[in-house]
Amino acid sequence: MRLQEYEAADIFEKAGIPVPRRRVVETTGEALSAAGEIGYPVVIKAQVLVGGRGLAGGIKTAKSPYELETQTDALLGSDIRGLPVNKILISQQIEIEKELYIGITVDGFTGKPVIVISTEGGVNIEKTARTAPDKIASVHVEPGRNFYPYQARTLFRKLKMSNRLLVSCADILVRLYKVFVQNEALIAEINPLVVQPNGGLLAVDAVLEIDNSAISRIKYSIPDFLGRIDNPLERRGKEIGVTYVDLDGDIGLISSGAGLGMASMDIIGERLRPANFMETGGGITEKLLYKCMELLMMKKGVRAAFINIYGGINPIHEGAKGVVRYIREHDIKIPIVAKALGNRQEETWEIFRNGGVHVVTEAATEKAIDRLCELLETN
Amino acid sequence: MSIFLDKDTRVIVQGITGKIGSVQTKWMLDYHTNVVGGVTPGKGGAKVEGLPVFDSVEQAVQETGANASVFFVPAPFVLDAFYETVDAGIPFIVVVPEHIPVHDVMKMRAYAHEKNVFALGPTTPGILVPGVGKMGIMPASLFVPGRVGIISRSGTLSYEFAGILSEVDVGQSTVLGMGADPVVLTNLSEILEKFESDGDTDGVVIVGEVGGEQEERAAEFIRDNMKKPVASYIAGRFAPQGKRMGHAGAIVRGSSGTFEGKQKAMDNAGVTMLASPIDVADWARGNNLR
Repeated sequence: MRLQEYEAADIFEKAGIPVPRRRVVETTGEALSAAGEIGYPVVIKAQVLVGGRGLAGGIKTAKSPYELETQTDALLGSDIRGLPVNKILISQQIEIEKELYIGITVDGFTGKPVIVISTEGGVNIEKTARTAPDKIASVHVEPGRNFYPYQARTLFRKLKMSNRLLVSCADILVRLYKVFVQNEALIAEINPLVVQPNGGLLAVDAVLEIDNSAISRIKYSIPDFLGRIDNPLERRGKEIGVTYVDLDGDIGLISSGAGLGMASMDIIGERLRPANFMETGGGITEKLLYKCMELLMMKKGVRAAFINIYGGINPIHEGAKGVVRYIREHDIKIPIVAKALGNRQEETWEIFRNGGVHVVTEAATEKAIDRLCELLETN
Repeated sequence: MSIFLDKDTRVIVQGITGKIGSVQTKWMLDYHTNVVGGVTPGKGGAKVEGLPVFDSVEQAVQETGANASVFFVPAPFVLDAFYETVDAGIPFIVVVPEHIPVHDVMKMRAYAHEKNVFALGPTTPGILVPGVGKMGIMPASLFVPGRVGIISRSGTLSYEFAGILSEVDVGQSTVLGMGADPVVLTNLSEILEKFESDGDTDGVVIVGEVGGEQEERAAEFIRDNMKKPVASYIAGRFAPQGKRMGHAGAIVRGSSGTFEGKQKAMDNAGVTMLASPIDVADWARGNNLR
């Protein structure tokens, strides 16, 4: 889960990383009083989690209350790349001598945290890696060990940094690493880390993505986890304990695994248009598949459905009962094809067939989609 | 005999007294897996499916001579259980549970490497050697003995591929889930190395998916080191940017982890790319695999 900038900035500040004076607001009135305290000029930043926020018009500046009012009125309630702007951050505008980049992520291949720094801040780091690889340095950290200031200094020296700037950058990097570990982060990033004309450093942006699997053991409370999911169907999926991804087609999908779900989505996508991706993982019960059917049908215009489940860890016969109960109670008429293999498959087929679901007993998903296409043609 | 699991493999089940652990122990025994006992701290002395339950892995090893372990331990306790198992000297560990914090997995992986332990997962269906045994949750009815190896990031898709092959009488040597998290305990390239040297395997299918760079890195290994035919399917071609597709590791971030990038890397390494799972049948027959 990615935190909003203002939340991440608070965490960074508590860890001793210098951040600009700032306040998060929800109305123009609050923005004016915040800017009064902070002092003009100010930067106005939409709190939306999209990449390239500046280019998409999510960052503005104001030198006066009049400018602030105009900008804030336009920004609040608008959409940036489809996401509504409900909160904005009013932040002190600072003088920039130089912009740096520091970021920490999990390297999936080595299985270790990797720290990347660059003397080219304020731009996309992937792009810098292609265009100016000599301006980037990186180091892996052994899991479970501290990251020491000398290691940070060694890293910054690779980019020819020296003296006081070297020491102060290293100090901030060590603090960011602590934030990364203590918050069970997948990403912790400051881009840009600004060097001011007086030599001081400030973290002008703050990125922190927390591992969803670790949320329950993080010490502070994260407000309104579900409320962060903007799509109501995807939010409902989270509530019932499945992964739902909204797509723009009209063929509904329920699968019992992520890989199977993706393959089903791809195979449907070759010939028809998937309405959604949905996968239950290993938690199938009668009730869960009832709710999955309900969620599948919540999307407008779904004209057929495909259920693709395996009985390894899942009691698929229980799942089938839930699907069939939903169909009966809601008098569902759209064609539904099910492929269900594994433990207790015969029993599962029987339940599906009795409920009016078309059962495919072959292993290949392709064959089930053939059947679905036939049914759609004859319907 | 498979290089991963054979009749001399003596398996313990950690979390054997749990709901999933006890049911899966029964399925593993039904498949004639050599399960010798289980561990649940605090439940020592109990019996599950007639097998002894121990309080600690150390005791289980002493009493049963166990040399492999499969985990059905709740995610928050896996790190502790993993350290315990490695310290008890078990050289092969299958970590089935999902939702284990990534920072824990990084520590587990570092320790496994340090102690030379071969570990699979997290978020894996485990491993199944047709006709020999299984550690994990794979539904046995879909597999038949043969000479094709399957390595999959996804559990359900490994069943799909085995099922399609079995229907056309192409059997499998070993079917193995490598795990679906952003960090896995053993990389795809290291697993491929084992299949390349496995005398029972004549060809390998890699069932990958979008996210991460396991397939891209493995492609380098295949190009330089593999003589056996390799085919690959990558799921998630139509996965939208930035969305986690069920697995914690299945997410496309910018230009990283894309379907196109993986396909290109595999193509360049001489791997046969399968457009759909069903195409695996023709690939196997074309290469005289059975």
